Amino acid sequence: MTDQTAPTGLEHQPVTTDGKRVLGIVPGSPAAGERKVIDRDDTVMVWPHLLVRHAVAAMCALLTVMVIAVLFDAPLGSVANPQVTPNPEKAPWYFAALQELLAILHPLVAGVLVPGTIVIGLIALPYVDRSRFFKPRHRKVAVATFTTFLVVWIVLTLIGFMFRGPNWGWVWPWEEWHGVL
Amino acid sequence: MTITEEPRTDSGEGDGPSALDRARRSTIGSSIFRSPRRVTPRDRAAGHWSSFLLHIYPVKIRRRELSFRYSWYLGVISTVLLGSLVASGVYLMFFYVPSPANAYTNIQTIQTEVPFGQYVRNVHRWSAHLMVLAVAAHMARVFYRGAYKAPREFNWVIGVVLLLLTLLMSFTGYLLPWDQLAFWAVTVGTEMAGYVPFAGEQVKEILLGGPTVDSNTLLRFYVLHVAVLPTLIIFTLMIHLWRWRKDAMFDQKVEDGDD
Repeated sequence: MTDQTAPTGLEHQPVTTDGKRVLGIVPGSPAAGERKVIDRDDTVMVWPHLLVRHAVAAMCALLTVMVIAVLFDAPLGSVANPQVTPNPEKAPWYFAALQELLAILHPLVAGVLVPGTIVIGLIALPYVDRSRFFKPRHRKVAVATFTTFLVVWIVLTLIGFMFRGPNWGWVWPWEEWHGVL
Repeated sequence: MTITEEPRTDSGEGDGPSALDRARRSTIGSSIFRSPRRVTPRDRAAGHWSSFLLHIYPVKIRRRELSFRYSWYLGVISTVLLGSLVASGVYLMFFYVPSPANAYTNIQTIQTEVPFGQYVRNVHRWSAHLMVLAVAAHMARVFYRGAYKAPREFNWVIGVVLLLLTLLMSFTGYLLPWDQLAFWAVTVGTEMAGYVPFAGEQVKEILLGGPTVDSNTLLRFYVLHVAVLPTLIIFTLMIHLWRWRKDAMFDQKVEDGDD
């Protein structure tokens, strides 16, 4: 008790506030501690907090697939014929960057060295980058390297997928379309 | 007052247990659910812990990992697409024979005569492309988040393996319709294997089952596509998820906070 002044006679008189009787007020900090500040490192139960979010993400993904599947039919060309080589010959889109590299570089470099280096580089990444910094602006070297590779790869994929026509010559996709999915 | 999280009662409103809770506590219910009491957070954790379906998840997770911008939920999306591929793929398997004489006409039959055949084939095709995108995007997101850092290095490595398996799944499936698209895409794709030094031709022959794409290749790619690679990818994914669960509570010793 901080206030030890003379009794007012009201201590034992219940006070009515807002229709409720207040029996007493305890001074000092609350027994349950101060109001907790919610921190991003606090833990929450996975059910329901994470699971409902995952359920929504899953339903969005499935809905997207359903809509695309209703709107667009999967392509089917004419029956395979080993005698008739289409021009251009195209690899699936996720290998388009490699195919584009094969047209530019020596096959040993484009077909073996580059994909091998990418895979080994990706595996080595967490063992090379040991800093305890997480924000991209504190990891400039790692972020710049990764972003450069990513952008180059996306550009090569788009070129190989959309901008290459007969004899692997340059075409504008809005004039001739040679991409297949 | 100052208590922010009070222990929940069964129904959350204090008017007795809900129908679901009563079902849980019945003789049959309690034989199914090992921890039917859900009064305190500890009860609820026990209920989570003893559930087979929930055991792939940790019981608790850091609040920051809940938000969309933490992960863009790309891991879940990749997994869901894998599920969609398994479901649609099994349906297609009923109507498909992997031989040059049958494959193409089977696809035509699937598209014209099989109930929902065209739709299921579309789902399979587009899910496959989306899964390649989702897995690649997942990897990029994990990189920019720095989530591959200790103690999660090895799970990143497993993720790289999963990316490669996803590409192989997609590539082996690409041949199966046995149309011009498939035939020549696989011819071009496997030509790259021929550039491997010293053993190039042998590697290519092992892949194709011969010097060129033919019936052996189709059978090989089919078996890889429906049996070998799915088993590998699901097994690897189980390790990936198990490590994710185990690492959920490890401190990553962040020195600069995160955004």
